[in-house]
Amino acid sequence: MKWPMYISITLVALVTGLLLTFQFRVSSRIEQGVPTGRAQELATELHQLETEISQLQSEVNDLGAKLAQATKGQQEALAAMEGELVKAKIAAGLTAVSGPGVEIILDNPPLQRQTGRPASLYVIRDEDLLRIVNELRGAGAEAISINGQRIVATSEIRYAAPFINVNLTRIVPPYHILAIGKVDHLQAALSIPGGVVEYLKDLGVRVDIQTHDKLTVPAYTGTRQHLYAKPVQRR
Amino acid sequence: MWLGFWLAIFGLALGVVIGLNIPLLLPGAYAKYLSVAALAALDSIFGGIRAGMEDTFDNTIFITGFFSNALLAAGLAFVGERLGIDLYLAAVVAFGVRLFQNLAIIRRHLLKK
Repeated sequence: MKWPMYISITLVALVTGLLLTFQFRVSSRIEQGVPTGRAQELATELHQLETEISQLQSEVNDLGAKLAQATKGQQEALAAMEGELVKAKIAAGLTAVSGPGVEIILDNPPLQRQTGRPASLYVIRDEDLLRIVNELRGAGAEAISINGQRIVATSEIRYAAPFINVNLTRIVPPYHILAIGKVDHLQAALSIPGGVVEYLKDLGVRVDIQTHDKLTVPAYTGTRQHLYAKPVQRR
Repeated sequence: MWLGFWLAIFGLALGVVIGLNIPLLLPGAYAKYLSVAALAALDSIFGGIRAGMEDTFDNTIFITGFFSNALLAAGLAFVGERLGIDLYLAAVVAFGVRLFQNLAIIRRHLLKK
């Protein structure tokens, strides 16, 4: 009669002890943990920071794109300047250039086999070379050289005793004049009736004109100083 | 009578030991239901003690009351939570009031002796 009561008392006491201990542990753990309000606060802060991160990320991308654009612009400017420099160098004759053109070979009248004397007493003079160069320039030659001396803006062609000086360098016959330009125009300008070539031929000078699809005119090798000429300040 | 007392102490101690050594813990969200259940259990126990002192103790009523009160209180709190009503407060108030009433009656019985 009494035993079921004792069993139930024991059982109830056990369950109560279990419940209370369990509850005690859970409550103490909750107190140790992060409070709900604080958790919400932290979550809000986290959300804000994430938004900020994404904003900053997009800003980084934007600035990166701008930087890339600026770099590209700089490169373009550099390339343009280099192109200008190349053009200027070609114009000044500071680089060797190649292209279609004509080669004019001038030589003094040959010696005659029987007499051992020249067929003509005429000797090629500086004015002849100057006229040919002038004629070539008039025909649109872009680069001219005489015996490897590039004709530039300051080049002289000048008779000096038995030689002709070009760029302060002595040149001797036969004279090889190279000119790059439109071949037809150059050839036509040289072979005008009554022109310089015909005139020289009449005087007994050997003139040989060859056209080339590709010939190379060397660069100006002398030094260039501008001691007196200064660029004018443009306002 | 004393056997029952010692058995109760023994059961409580065993429950505490098991509760302290159990490896798993309920999530904090369920602590509310567990607390209401514990309150209901305490109420049932004090009710049982009171009944024992009044010599109206019925084992069946005691044991069913204990478990059904605990489970109902927890279940009610759970349902209240889902419905947006703080029903566990009702359970706390009801069981709390009864608990103190029982305590007062037990005290009077003890003083009368």
